[in-house]
Amino acid sequence: MSTTLDLHSHSEASEDSRAPLEAYLNWLKLRRAERPVDGVVLTEHRQFNKDADYRALEDKFGILVLKASEVETDYGHVLVFGVNDEMTRRFDFANVHLPAQEVIDEVARMGGVAIPCHPGRPNVGLCEHYAKKPPLENVIAVEVLNGGSRKGEDERSVELARSRGYRSIGGSDSHLVSLIGLCATRFEAEIRTIEDLVRELKSGEYAPVDFRPRRKPVPHATPVEVKQA
Amino acid sequence: MTVDYDPALIGRVFETTEPVPVTAEQIAAFCAAINETNPIFTDEAAAKAGPFGGIVAPPSFAVTFRNGRHFFEHIPRYGKQGFDAGKDVEFVTPIRPGDAITLNSHVKEIYEKTGRTGSMVFVIVRSTLTNQKGEVVAHVDHRFMNRP
Repeated sequence: MSTTLDLHSHSEASEDSRAPLEAYLNWLKLRRAERPVDGVVLTEHRQFNKDADYRALEDKFGILVLKASEVETDYGHVLVFGVNDEMTRRFDFANVHLPAQEVIDEVARMGGVAIPCHPGRPNVGLCEHYAKKPPLENVIAVEVLNGGSRKGEDERSVELARSRGYRSIGGSDSHLVSLIGLCATRFEAEIRTIEDLVRELKSGEYAPVDFRPRRKPVPHATPVEVKQA
Repeated sequence: MTVDYDPALIGRVFETTEPVPVTAEQIAAFCAAINETNPIFTDEAAAKAGPFGGIVAPPSFAVTFRNGRHFFEHIPRYGKQGFDAGKDVEFVTPIRPGDAITLNSHVKEIYEKTGRTGSMVFVIVRSTLTNQKGEVVAHVDHRFMNRP
């Protein structure tokens, strides 16, 4: 049984989002045909909400809710899955200058997985940092589909993953209710817990999936002959 | 937190305004300006039968109260550039004609983040509105972005 998860989303717990989790889940329920997502991972900015309990909402909507974090490093933003007390003691998640290599290595050692997100984005993506600094080691995957990407950013991410041999994930990076689930990652295995997710990200089979509607091409204007009076 | 600031800044009220009286006429003028037609805001009889037992101001009336003249002088700045990055308003108690509203302002939070355009430092200043009975009627969080 496969599982499709939006691996990157922000609820109102992030300072730049106004989206309540319940509204996300309700939207996904209503849009199930267009965005067949089985669950969402809340990756709140620079924090991890250890005590947040979403089981009642999971039961109400039948959608899996997992918790992770998006931290900021000297190589851009990084999603951290499988956050535990050892990680939050080791790193100040509010620090926007965390050392990326240490984050990747230490998170792995502590049982999680750290994945650079939107690498094609200026300033906060891997591509720009790789142009100036040595590449990071032990990167297993990057986010190549991001719902907040501008033109060309996802293409740069795909090229980075191809050239470096990184695996690929997708996430909506939603800060607004209507954007949840637009990009996601399909896993071959069933995922019910954050431990399942970390295991699959490290060694399972998965691929990014894009549910963004295709834009219709703008029709060419037909010249109209203007008759002189 | 990596942005440098004096922790004593947080929570210390730096400004308290003089009480501003609220009248039914002001509320009616505000309703006319925003095309609010619900009679509980303007018609005494309808308001009396409504959920608040009398005329109240529409919730957004809370944002019409101005901060003091020296408000901006007390906001910590980082770098040379910045802008007003928005406001969050939490409504607590209805404002009624006859109220006298006072604003108390303090720095609620300072944090740094990075984005497409570079580093940013955000300063959140909270203005708490209270009435003459000391009841909080609303909180207004002003979000200021600085480019360090």
